[in-house]
Amino acid sequence: MFVKEGEYLFLEGDKGTSLVIVKSGMLVGMSKQLRQRHWRNFGPGSIIGEFSLLESKPREYTLRAAENSEVLFIEQKALQRELEHKPGWFQSTLSFLANHCHIAEENLKKSKIVQALPALLFLFSKHLVASGSDNIALATLQKKMLVLNNTEFSETERLLQLLEEFDILKIEGETIRVPNLQIIPLLYEALRYRALNKQVSPDILSITEQLVLTAFVKAVKENGISIRGNKATVPTEMLKAEAKKAMHGGTLTRRIIAPLTASGILEASPASGQSPVLDDTDSFTADFYHVIDLLELNRIFPLLDKKLV
Amino acid sequence: MGLFPMNTGNSRQQIIPPTRLRVKAGFVVYSPDSGNRELVILDEGELVAVDKSHDNREIKFRMHAGDIVGVASLFENEPFRYTLEATEDSSVTIISEDCLESELKNIPIWLLATLKNLSQNTRLLKESAHRTPVENTLMSLAEYCAHLESGVKYPVDTLIREFNWLTRIPPVTIKADLKSLLRRRFIGLSKNGEELLIQVHNATLMQIFSDYLYAREEGLVWEPLRLSLPQKRILVHLTTIKKGVEMEAPEWIRLLNERELPIDVAQWITLQDLGCFKQGLSNKFHVDMERIEYYLTAIRYDSNLRGAV
Repeated sequence: MFVKEGEYLFLEGDKGTSLVIVKSGMLVGMSKQLRQRHWRNFGPGSIIGEFSLLESKPREYTLRAAENSEVLFIEQKALQRELEHKPGWFQSTLSFLANHCHIAEENLKKSKIVQALPALLFLFSKHLVASGSDNIALATLQKKMLVLNNTEFSETERLLQLLEEFDILKIEGETIRVPNLQIIPLLYEALRYRALNKQVSPDILSITEQLVLTAFVKAVKENGISIRGNKATVPTEMLKAEAKKAMHGGTLTRRIIAPLTASGILEASPASGQSPVLDDTDSFTADFYHVIDLLELNRIFPLLDKKLV
Repeated sequence: MGLFPMNTGNSRQQIIPPTRLRVKAGFVVYSPDSGNRELVILDEGELVAVDKSHDNREIKFRMHAGDIVGVASLFENEPFRYTLEATEDSSVTIISEDCLESELKNIPIWLLATLKNLSQNTRLLKESAHRTPVENTLMSLAEYCAHLESGVKYPVDTLIREFNWLTRIPPVTIKADLKSLLRRRFIGLSKNGEELLIQVHNATLMQIFSDYLYAREEGLVWEPLRLSLPQKRILVHLTTIKKGVEMEAPEWIRLLNERELPIDVAQWITLQDLGCFKQGLSNKFHVDMERIEYYLTAIRYDSNLRGAV
């Protein structure tokens, strides 16, 4: 079949049941899934539409003749005729190869989403820190993801939807809003720390440490402790009592609290080094909102890690 | 690779028959140590794929009648790593490389091309999963640097590692792109003892560079180029206007004309399109100083952006 320059053979999404072989000339394939610069050229010897032939899949491209060309259409009947004369394993092999290709395609899609996560968190956290605003336009983020990581717009949207499932952000039409300005920067830093240092970030706490901080927050809230300049101070006895409840009867010990004072999350008063003796300590002070953010980070991190990383 | 033969078009070439075996339980049908690339089809009975690479013998999967393994090994050069053992008396068909090749010599060229395309696409998809998705690495680096703080010195090694983690651009490419930014005088290098440090002179300029490369890549008009000389003069003048001044469009046009900066309605619309004026309440407009600074910086550093310094 001869096609004149500029003539269309089919449109993306059209029903397809045949394979196209380019005998001479040049065809160009365009897809809405790909951006403009990702046109694909098909010169002599190229074949287009393997999955239309094998599985009646819709056309992947809109195919146009870039110059006067000659093409050959192979219909499913021809394939069936060939396979009738082949041993059974031949068809199984063909199906296996097609299936393997689909699996590789799916895996690539998944891995692209996973691998785009740090870039998205980087851009989002830098924007939140620089602007102090709790939102970013979807279009801005999509463009930046494209520029930084060549992430397609749809992939960015998919990733945002995944983050929305964890309540990290909210997609409000064309705007992405975060309920908490600190979580995305903290999440990015935790991932970055692990990637660059090959060890867990100090912000990722053990279950026991999380229970102690939960007890701290509860003590502040339930006893009406005032928060001054973001700081709250909880008497040691009160913290011990709350920790006992949080740890299901477990006792708050020097060993348990030491990592939290060593990392500076809790400050003992009077100050007594990194591992305070509880009986000699009157109270513990912490940046109350930072503690809440850390607890939120520690809620999200393992879930996100499990789902994406 | 020799698997896909040159098709001679002779459909009467001799087919090498497959090997059919009747095996007893416990018989090793395939061992990865043999180095053979072959298809194993189970006709009857049961086989297990065993991983013997570790000390423990681990059963990876079971094969039932009709199952086939080794396609990826033959077509995609992906070695089959497991030992195949019969768990009961079984019948198997083994298609050796030679047997497959002889079969492939007897199929039409379009079917051969289809098989070849499927296997090649799978290989390319798998390779893509391990490669950076970024095509314009300089644009990506410029976008990353636009989010660094101007004037702050960052260790080059850490910066390269972070950027590589975000984008998977190889360090050698990152270094070459950093040199390109250095040549354009967008960044500076210094030393602190043995440590090499990098500093972005002006993060806004990096953003402009990223936008410039994006416009070029997408075939878009680079907005600062749309500005005529009189418009540029107007922008310079607007930077002297007091913050917070709001006027309706005709008033702005009158004011600028009074100050010997001739502007007509068409030019006003262009400036508005470029975002130099923001609409406030009712029909009043105020100057968007950030946008104007963006354009003036782009114009001032035009030769740096083009790499002509």
